Amino acid sequence: MRGLRVFYVIAALCLALSVGTEPLSSDAAAQTLARGHEDTRRIVQRIPKADPAGARGGAQPLPRETVEADVSSRAIAITSAFTGTEIVVFGSVLNSRQPSAEAGYYDVIVVLEGVPEPVVARRKSNVAGLWVNTGAFDFESAPTYYAIASTRPIEEIAEEDFLKAHAIGLDHVRLSPAARSAIRTQPAEITAFKEAVVRRRQKDGLYLKADYAVIFIGKSLFRASIALPAHVPVGPLTARVYLFREGEVLSTFQQRVRLEREGVELWIYWFAMRHPALYGLFTVMMAVIAGLLASAAFRRKAAA
Amino acid sequence: MHIYLPIAEMPANVLLFLGMGSAVGFLSGLFGVGGGFLLTPLLIFSGIPTPVAVGTAAAQIVASSVSGAIAQWQRNNVDIKMGLVLLAGGVVGSVIGVQMVRILRLAGQFDLFVALAYVTFLGVIGTLMLIEAVGAIQRTRAQQRPLLARSSGQHNWVHHLPFKMRFHRSKLYISAIPPLAIGAFVGFLGAIIGAGGGFIMVPAMIYLLRMPTNVVIGTSLFQIVFVAGLTTVMHAAENYSVDVVLALILIVSGVIGAQYGAAAGARLKGEQLRLLLAALVLLVCVRIGWDLVATPEDLYSITTSFGGAP
Repeated sequence: MRGLRVFYVIAALCLALSVGTEPLSSDAAAQTLARGHEDTRRIVQRIPKADPAGARGGAQPLPRETVEADVSSRAIAITSAFTGTEIVVFGSVLNSRQPSAEAGYYDVIVVLEGVPEPVVARRKSNVAGLWVNTGAFDFESAPTYYAIASTRPIEEIAEEDFLKAHAIGLDHVRLSPAARSAIRTQPAEITAFKEAVVRRRQKDGLYLKADYAVIFIGKSLFRASIALPAHVPVGPLTARVYLFREGEVLSTFQQRVRLEREGVELWIYWFAMRHPALYGLFTVMMAVIAGLLASAAFRRKAAA
Repeated sequence: MHIYLPIAEMPANVLLFLGMGSAVGFLSGLFGVGGGFLLTPLLIFSGIPTPVAVGTAAAQIVASSVSGAIAQWQRNNVDIKMGLVLLAGGVVGSVIGVQMVRILRLAGQFDLFVALAYVTFLGVIGTLMLIEAVGAIQRTRAQQRPLLARSSGQHNWVHHLPFKMRFHRSKLYISAIPPLAIGAFVGFLGAIIGAGGGFIMVPAMIYLLRMPTNVVIGTSLFQIVFVAGLTTVMHAAENYSVDVVLALILIVSGVIGAQYGAAAGARLKGEQLRLLLAALVLLVCVRIGWDLVATPEDLYSITTSFGGAP
């Protein structure tokens, strides 16, 4: 309940702060956004202002809608008690023309994505009765995590080309084949390997899709809650929000979410990566001491 | 109750792993084996990445072997000289084994190799133990005394090799080559499958080297402490695959379980114990083998380098 209250307060603040900002966005902005990996920023692209004189007249076009959004927590700490969490992406449509939350006037797509990292896909085949890895394909990069939420199925919201260009949807996750693999693999096989990466990650709960998970609460306020599983690979995440009206992107927004080890977890990880041999010795010493203690303790018990 | 494992990058149910550690510890105390051959598959089944399971089990083996070796030491059941020769071989085998893990992981055949090694060795050892235990039980029923395994003056091909050494505690005068080779083989295998290799070492010492049975377990445990310790350090240094948090859970529960297991073992008959162990070994063997032959749910699998390792 507290979380919800905080969310409303923040959303109200967002609304208050954004009153009077310039109308922004468009498709071009969305493209920059999808490629950008800088910190929090809002893509601003001004559209020609309406003539102030005309504004007072009746024929003046309504100001263009823009989206402002944020995430419930910009920094998530992975401590020894981490068992997964939920990220709430919320936002509001400025200059909303939507009569009510249920009107379905706008469509919103929220994408939460991890960092791209190399991955190897392998295919088994039966060799003399045993299932053995016989085919392999290297991907230079695949997002470690990918979650998508939308107001309705994304195919109904936007054109295939747009979705593809912006890496929206599980069919369009950016998977870049490594050149050494691509040159010796048939295109059909590459597709099969790509599908396999998405399928396996979906099964592991690292790639998620929720078609009706973005919900409008008022005529301008929306929210989506996205599950972050406990085994999510540690690294920064990027949240992208797209606002659509009849297949046209009106505005986009991007926010970074930090996902970092903290406290003991960070210390152990640092120790293991920076001084691996010493870390190994430490582990062995711990094992030896535990063995000695156990035999000493039980010998005394047996003697008593 | 969950705790996040920093290297495996996943939360672990503490009670589950405490239970697993104490159960394996109990069995290792009961049967006088390291228990790595049970622990590693159990860790893999419960979702721990194979390299982390292998690297972390090695740390647990150190702990359980230390308490076992001390108990044997106090009964003067350790042939230090033989242990050192086995260890010299073990170090070489272990170094090669850890390199092999890296190569196999890059080639995508690591899981297959581990599974094949397990099926082969557990299958062979389990079957031999089963036959021996059933035979022993039948002999007991027939009120016969068990046959002595060794009589002096008995020789096999092992005794015709050069570089002969005298092992006082084992009452042996044999070539250093077979113990070196056995040590190397067990060290190599241990590094790959995350087991101390006691279940291979013990039969090899009895049947190939013809060491007296009373010094076999102590000597085997003595050298396993060092080989498993070295393997742990090398897995940490080369593969970044030792999870100290998981290791701690398994070690604490393991050493306690082992003490209770040893106490329980003293009250059971040897041949019944061996029959139970044989059944257990074969069960693990069948379970791992099944995954090799059963049609997988998905022919595709994906792997990433975890923990920043290349």
